Amino acid sequence: MEAFSFGSYYPGDSAVHRLDPRTKLLLGFAFLITVLTVGSFCGLVPVAMFVVLVYVVARVPLRRVLSSMAPLLAIVVVVAVLNLFSDQSGRILWQLGFLQVSEGSLRSAAFVACRLTLMMAGMSAITLTTPTLDLTAGFERLLAPFARVGLPAHELGMIMGIALRFMPQFATEMKQTADAQASRGARVTGGPLGGVRMLGSVAIPLFTGVFRHAETLSAAMDARCYHGEQGRTRLHALAFGRGDVLAALAMALLVTCVVVINLQLF
Amino acid sequence: MIECRGVSFSYDGAAPALDGVDLNIEDGEFFCILGGNGSGKSTFAKHLNALLQPDAGTVRVNGMDASDPELVYDIRSTAGMVFQNPDDQLVATLVEDDVAFGPENLGVPSAQIARRVREALKGVGLVGFERHETHALSGGQKQRVALAGVLAMEPRVLILDEASSMLDPRGRKGLMKACHALHNRGMTIVMITHFMEEAAEADRVAVFQAGRVAMLGKPEEILTRADELAQLNLDMPVSCCLGRALREKGVSVCAQVREADMVAEIAQAYAERSGTDIAGQPSASDSHVLDNGSSAADGIAASEPVIEISHLSHSYSLSARERRRWRKRSTTADASSKQALWGNDPNSPWALRDVSLTVRRGEFLGLAGHTGSGKSTLVQHLNGLIRPQEGSVCALGLDLSNKKDAAAVKAKVGVVFQYPERQLFAETVAQDVAFGPRNLGLPQDEVARRVASSLARVGLDLAAIGDKSPFELSGGQQRRVAFAGVLAMEPEVLVLDEPMAGLDPAARRDFLGLIDRLHREGLTVVMVSHSMDDLANCCDRIVVMNEGAVFAEGTPAQVFAHADELKSIGLGVPAAQRMALALAQAGVPLRCDKLYAVEALADELAGLLLGCADVPLRVPCQAGSKAPTREEGC
Repeated sequence: MEAFSFGSYYPGDSAVHRLDPRTKLLLGFAFLITVLTVGSFCGLVPVAMFVVLVYVVARVPLRRVLSSMAPLLAIVVVVAVLNLFSDQSGRILWQLGFLQVSEGSLRSAAFVACRLTLMMAGMSAITLTTPTLDLTAGFERLLAPFARVGLPAHELGMIMGIALRFMPQFATEMKQTADAQASRGARVTGGPLGGVRMLGSVAIPLFTGVFRHAETLSAAMDARCYHGEQGRTRLHALAFGRGDVLAALAMALLVTCVVVINLQLF
Repeated sequence: MIECRGVSFSYDGAAPALDGVDLNIEDGEFFCILGGNGSGKSTFAKHLNALLQPDAGTVRVNGMDASDPELVYDIRSTAGMVFQNPDDQLVATLVEDDVAFGPENLGVPSAQIARRVREALKGVGLVGFERHETHALSGGQKQRVALAGVLAMEPRVLILDEASSMLDPRGRKGLMKACHALHNRGMTIVMITHFMEEAAEADRVAVFQAGRVAMLGKPEEILTRADELAQLNLDMPVSCCLGRALREKGVSVCAQVREADMVAEIAQAYAERSGTDIAGQPSASDSHVLDNGSSAADGIAASEPVIEISHLSHSYSLSARERRRWRKRSTTADASSKQALWGNDPNSPWALRDVSLTVRRGEFLGLAGHTGSGKSTLVQHLNGLIRPQEGSVCALGLDLSNKKDAAAVKAKVGVVFQYPERQLFAETVAQDVAFGPRNLGLPQDEVARRVASSLARVGLDLAAIGDKSPFELSGGQQRRVAFAGVLAMEPEVLVLDEPMAGLDPAARRDFLGLIDRLHREGLTVVMVSHSMDDLANCCDRIVVMNEGAVFAEGTPAQVFAHADELKSIGLGVPAAQRMALALAQAGVPLRCDKLYAVEALADELAGLLLGCADVPLRVPCQAGSKAPTREEGC
């Protein structure tokens, strides 16, 4: 069977790995906002330094980082190309009909590309150092305060966890069904009608499979005494530690740097 | 421990699934529940831990009334349950989180959960798997994780609902070993199964039929009643068949339900008759060299090849350049020297390694090998689903590395995958079967003709079920419809991947008969199976795969003569052969150079024990150095 790997967790035991997932999620959010407020190349320098620092501390090899970001780089390219035609200040360098590229647009495209890449690198640092289950647990706990206004935080976390658990399962099943139908002559390239038939012949067994799984899974969860959040404990209780404080301080430093640079320039 | 009084239950209010079941299960007992598909045994199991509530009657678990809503979680943690399918009862991505799920729900403090997880994993032999991802485990390992998840709740009763039915022989053996170890430490075990060999190991057995307990007693009382069992869609264990066959021939032995006991009894009878104590007599062992490739059955060797595979290698993980480099390295270093002792070398990137194989017209070829041995990858090569990376596959004169030819071959080599009923999708049975012919672009009347004829070939009537939804049919009928869907392509070669998986003994026999008939009608059949008995009964030739390479090839008699070599790669031999080898080991002079069926073995033993002159005595021989034990294949 083909290996299917979801997420991009890189196992390790560094200080970054050991951070509480809630810290990582909150700081990740702060990081995104900070990077979005950066207005110049100069402001991106401390951001880049921060990202490099995180990866060095996490001891994730460069190759692994690049391979986890590779699929996202397509987005960077698309956004950068779009930006080429937006800002039209400065000398015009190239023109074809109504399309033109100027110095300003070139600079803005490069800036947007750098900013996006750094944002993705920062976010990848979270998914690379945190198992998906810990992420959902952190997510669940962060949403817990909203439970009072009716937000089903625990259920959302549970749903995310189970979805992640079954993702590779469904990928395997889809491959098996597609193989079986292909053995009966189904082709995606058999014209629009053949395409629709092929899609149905794979999608319907997949859906019936989902329901079959859901039925047994719910019985299996019942059999293991699942009854919602009430009175539930955790194998790994989440707890903030010294590392989390240090991480927060590092993030505060980054925010200060960016703010200072932004103010100087305006 | 468990007390059931007049338990009745119905899913729809009309047809009863359980109809007045009275059953007591003692503390510390190993209790086995048998029954055909749809006999109510799974429904009954769900009553034992309050997943279902009886319509009438009472269930008491350890003195607690299962209908008391206050006690539900006490009961479920007292009577833990492992389900059939290893794929849909694990909740978490990581092994330790899944095992912790039960105690987390029970509100056990964190430190104690960690201890329970550790102990539960130790109990099922999975120490060191804590941070492994559940979806990457083998079926047998997943079932043991599920078992650990139940153990972590510290139950007193363990209910296994056909938990071993979807596993390969090795996975089943591991699960049974874990269960017996727990039982020895005092756990009450309630096991639902289709496998008579598992039932033979129990303290007591109950046979269900139509929601009632049809038979109840010790295995030796129940499993020896052939006629009643046959009526209940069950079989006798092979050892009982042998014992009965011997009695019919006038040999005074009792039919034993456990193979080891049967072997001991026959050996004893032989020793008494020959007047000498020959047990444990050593005999020269000549180890055979596995005959690779050279030994096709004589009659078959003459017919033309339909599929020819030569030097086929396949890797899911390596790129073309890495494959070349790897090949260079393995020719310089001795590749065979560092093979993993047990199971696949996890570092080996090869799904198939230098496989050469010929399927000849009209033959029935068996394909054996444990999970991960490369069988599935090989099957996908047979009809061009995977195109060869290295080496070549020729089917019906077409080279499958050519994209166009690969598409043409799909119609001629029909593949029935595992659990084919899961691929049904159309609104009606007729439409589903027509899917293949329609994809071939055949005219309407030809499609209709093929639908009718292929349904008839699998023993179904188009007029009766053609307009029904495939999802209304019973499991066995669904599988037949899926078979028909492949047959409607009118293939010349039929490839079957575990066609009997998950069926009860009676349905297994029906399907084997069906496949045998298709073969006799002229189809070339390739069948993947875990059941050595089925392979020995049906096949002209058997290919054994191990670690992506052909391990052995030959007629069933040739392949199964190497019991020890097969055992070393986690496979067994057919039960009759296993007993013959054990008898030879115990000193009974059987010739082991041929493959025994139960009848032939009984004939020869009767000859020996009654002193018929027409069976010549021969020097006892052994296929290897160690006697196969009875756990093998269970």
